[in-house]
Amino acid sequence: MRIVVPIKAVPDLVEEIELTADQTGIDREFLKFVVSEWDAQALEEALLVKDASGAEVVAVGLASDPDIDQALYTAIAKGADSAVRVTGDADDSTLTGSRAALLAGYLAAEPADLVITGVQAADDLDGQLAPMLAAHLGQPHVSVVVGVEAAEGGITVRQEFAGGRVHELAVGLPAVIGLQAARQAPRYAPITRIRQAMQAGGLRVVAVEPATAGPAPTVRRMLRPEQASHAQMLTGSADDVAAAIADLLRDRGLV
Amino acid sequence: MSGTVLVIAEHDGKQISDGTYELLGAARSLASALGGAAEVALFGPRDLAGQLGGASVVVSVDHPALAQYLPEAYEEALLAVLAERSPRLVLMSTATPGLDLGAAAAVRWQAPLAACVTKLEVADGVVVATAQILGGKVLAELQLAGERAIAAVIGGTFPAAAGHGTGTPDVVEIAPPAGLDQLRMSLVQVTEPPGGDVDITAADLLVSVGRGIESQDNVELVQELGDALGFPLSASRPVVDAGWLPKTRQVGKSGLKVKPKAYLAFGISGAPEHLEGMRDADLIIACNTDPGAPIFDVAHYGTTIDLFDLVPALTEKLSQ
Amino acid sequence: MLVRIIVGGLIVLVGLGLAGTRLGWLARLVRSGRPAPGRLSGAPARVGAELVEVLGQRKLFKRWRSGLPHALVFWGFLILLFTIIEALGDTFISKNFAIPLIGHAAALGFIEDLFTVIVLAGLAVFTVTRLVESPQRRGRSSRFYGSHTKAAWVTLGMIALVMITLLGYRAAQVNTGDFPYGRAAFASHAVATLLHPLGTGANSVIETVLLLANVAVIMGFGVFVTYSKHLHIVMAPLNVAFSRRPRALGALGELPAAAPAQASQLELLTWKQRLDTLTCTECGRCQSVCPAWNSGQPLSPKLLIMGLRDGLMAGAAGSGEPVIDKEVLWSCTTCGACVEQCPVDIEHVDTIVHLRRQLVDAGQMEPAVQQVLQNDAGQGNSFGKSGRMRARWTRELGFTVKDARNEPVRSLWFVGDFASFDERLQVLSRSLAHILRDAGVDFGMLFDGERDDGNDVRRIGEEGLFQLLAEQNMESFRAASFDEIFTTDPHSFNTLRNEYPAFGLDKPVLHYSQLLGRLLADGSVPVEPLGMRVTYHDPCYLARHNRLTEPPRQVLAALGCELVEMPRNGLNTFCCGAGGGRIWMTGPEQAERPSENRIREAVALGVDHFVVACPKDFVMYGDAVKTTGNEDRITVIDLVQLVDRARRPAAALETV
Repeated sequence: MRIVVPIKAVPDLVEEIELTADQTGIDREFLKFVVSEWDAQALEEALLVKDASGAEVVAVGLASDPDIDQALYTAIAKGADSAVRVTGDADDSTLTGSRAALLAGYLAAEPADLVITGVQAADDLDGQLAPMLAAHLGQPHVSVVVGVEAAEGGITVRQEFAGGRVHELAVGLPAVIGLQAARQAPRYAPITRIRQAMQAGGLRVVAVEPATAGPAPTVRRMLRPEQASHAQMLTGSADDVAAAIADLLRDRGLV
Repeated sequence: MSGTVLVIAEHDGKQISDGTYELLGAARSLASALGGAAEVALFGPRDLAGQLGGASVVVSVDHPALAQYLPEAYEEALLAVLAERSPRLVLMSTATPGLDLGAAAAVRWQAPLAACVTKLEVADGVVVATAQILGGKVLAELQLAGERAIAAVIGGTFPAAAGHGTGTPDVVEIAPPAGLDQLRMSLVQVTEPPGGDVDITAADLLVSVGRGIESQDNVELVQELGDALGFPLSASRPVVDAGWLPKTRQVGKSGLKVKPKAYLAFGISGAPEHLEGMRDADLIIACNTDPGAPIFDVAHYGTTIDLFDLVPALTEKLSQ
Repeated sequence: MLVRIIVGGLIVLVGLGLAGTRLGWLARLVRSGRPAPGRLSGAPARVGAELVEVLGQRKLFKRWRSGLPHALVFWGFLILLFTIIEALGDTFISKNFAIPLIGHAAALGFIEDLFTVIVLAGLAVFTVTRLVESPQRRGRSSRFYGSHTKAAWVTLGMIALVMITLLGYRAAQVNTGDFPYGRAAFASHAVATLLHPLGTGANSVIETVLLLANVAVIMGFGVFVTYSKHLHIVMAPLNVAFSRRPRALGALGELPAAAPAQASQLELLTWKQRLDTLTCTECGRCQSVCPAWNSGQPLSPKLLIMGLRDGLMAGAAGSGEPVIDKEVLWSCTTCGACVEQCPVDIEHVDTIVHLRRQLVDAGQMEPAVQQVLQNDAGQGNSFGKSGRMRARWTRELGFTVKDARNEPVRSLWFVGDFASFDERLQVLSRSLAHILRDAGVDFGMLFDGERDDGNDVRRIGEEGLFQLLAEQNMESFRAASFDEIFTTDPHSFNTLRNEYPAFGLDKPVLHYSQLLGRLLADGSVPVEPLGMRVTYHDPCYLARHNRLTEPPRQVLAALGCELVEMPRNGLNTFCCGAGGGRIWMTGPEQAERPSENRIREAVALGVDHFVVACPKDFVMYGDAVKTTGNEDRITVIDLVQLVDRARRPAAALETV
């Protein structure tokens, strides 16, 4: 089974995010980028499928993403069999719609049995990758998945709903999965192995023709949320604050 | 150009969800601004239309494949409805079905989609949606120009009350599309969350723990507080993912929505997915050593005292 | 004589054959270990160590009650080599054999007898020690817990037998006239008096019998040695010769070349590490000072080394199950107390870190530790905060600290993660900044050019990440202009001083206690004597790893403090439990945290202040005072706070 894991570089949320001067976008120049946490989960789940039933795992990134090579080599250090950097003409590679079109072009050239990617990314404005990719490819897709296993005639996935209900689905391949959480936390990639992967090289660059992306929303402006309110901060020692809280609860008849 | 606003209904086979009513309420006012009507797409049991009094039209597709939610089946049904009704704007939630359907429809129906919407309005005949991105740090005002658009709306954005109604909507039956007989996936099993545990949605007070609790051992410390108060513990997603508390205690977008009289949050930073599950509580008291934690934006009272000092002090005060 | 030659010959041949074969097998076991770089360099220091540590028994004397008897017995063994020559001579050459030239010297006879008596006395002391300290009596707190006590008793018994048969046959020789020495050999003559009434004939038989018995016991003991922990008499001199000089503390040992991914733990071991395991005497001194063992955790340095040895002996080299459980490996704080104590220079910490590297590679670590490594890789600090926030604590100073990347400074302050990001420690950082500025010190920082120093990352076992952090720090150092570096964190101090030179750092590195000492001595910081009665906790990475015990004491003296020493002080300081990455770990279960143990030790002294000179100690002991309920009895205070109090007694102090 050939599993392709598209990964996306998103701004590191630990940092302060600045807007561009005209306020229609995020100032990406001095930002730190990291692999989207859901894509890290997706890679982990793909590797778990590989560990359990043997599969070829290919990590794929877009050349326009900052520091994407580092992320791809990290995927190899974690156990991916190979990595591909996709180049091509995309209208606006910050929009998921364009990314889906480009990746659809890649998958037309190098088809996969299964695509597992993060169910969403923190900067998804115009939609999520998995369903858009599946729509271009004409393949079935399932999002908010918390487990993927190879099965007779395809895969079995577990789809999660609010409140903890889980549906187990049998899905025929080829298919696209939007992963919410892997069955275990993403494994650690020791720096030595990442460096070894970098030295060994072996990243393939593939130029593709994108599929036709659908219409995208236009950004009128970006802004910071107004803080409508802020908590009234309780001060003093732990005992003082505990007393204040106890009073608040007593007033409401909860104690 | 049509002025119809179509809401995709979510249900569990017996009951239309609260989220659907929230969207229906919004759909009614948006539709009137667009010069059209509010319609609801209902897949599966047709009799549920009786619960959608607030809609002008209920567009129904019924077929055995739609008895339970199945991504591919709902998608085929949705595309059939979109082809028939040609709405101006389609509304769905950001819960699981919304995540399956919205982006796929954007490509197959060729419409711009605004994801994670927290505000929706019509300005000069143009639909403007405000999307919340980057963990809530940035808002993007998006213009959805053209004849058709889709918006995926975060739960709790609109009031559910506005979506209820006592009217009798027209029920339009759409023939099940052929795709429903050629599905490439099937539902094997449904697992409800384990019962027998506390129902946190029914509790008047919740003592909630987040990543700041650091380890499973420390949950015991907070359990003592819960015991002293006589109310159950709940948790944010990271705590449940780590296995320190069962899934039935998870508050948030992929857990449960709670509206207790008091919500005590210990070591919870306040990521948007968590806030979605508890921001409507009557009294929110947050304890987090980071004064910049987003939880303080929704909490009524807050403190930066370390929870490992506060929890024992509070347990002691309440045991007196 | 014929009887002696034949019987003696057989005994010696069999003995040497068995022992030789076994030694050959052990040698192959050692040599099949992986290469250990750098073990032959620095010959003078190695020769010196042989003289001081082996001949001089230096480390044994750390505990003189067992050290002195052991030294005497060891010296006795050396002296009594003469008697072995004599015994062999008496067996194979002639009944009244004497060593050429010196064989009749009264002094030699006297010394031989003296040490025979001393050895017997020593054995008596060892016997009492083993009875008093037995694991049956004292459980885990016995240093012999887990040691092969039966083998120890056999050893004592056999040595006693050697002495007794020796004395016995020499006494018989006195009576038969074969003895080469005069009355100066007092003990032999004394026992001879007892045997005299039996007559010359009987004594002659006794002489032969006890002589052959002596040879037999010696040979038997020799074979026993090669099969037991008493092998240390052969291995220790070897091990000391090849151990790290001056000691296996401070920097970590040189890293062996990368191992194949699927190697078992035993396959990872270098020949030196294998030699270590064969050298272990099971004395348990390391176990008795280990903070992990003393807090009820599964790690005992002794049991770890013994475990590896047993694995090697069993030929478990290729099997799947790890010999040492990961819980054991993760319990270590890398404090080095074991290395400090070990009389035969075993390098426990290096081996533990070496095995940890495999755990890290396989992702077998607590999620919190993995998170710390990911934080360091992503943000360059263990807290996971944005790198730009590193120097935010300086904003409240009211003055600007120089950026050493933009303008030259004399003293570069390497602040370190904890002192930069932990709120409690930021207060101390600000105090120090004020002290330095008021003293007119030309200091600066690297601001967001600083990264985690990597000391604990390396000791967790993520070598690649350590190198990445070191390279990043070096880039900042090269971009800056300074004459010396100082830091408040002994962990940072340790790696900057001992490990960063390999990355190109060539400036002196100071601990802030040294800087404060300088400033107090030259009057830059005028102070009023505090008159406080305090105790001081030596940080492991300052005192034991880097031998810096005086500078903080000099500061305390300059501040007019009366120092009441902790029972375990200086090089014997007891770890707070935070090192080796343990500050981020929760498991395994601890009966009593090392920091709590230490606070109780301090409270018993009757002082109200516990002085620390390390940010991790400040945090760990602050918590321990609370968890042991001693908030009213003792306060943890940093050197910086003491200096602050002494220089402006009337001013309001920032409370922590």
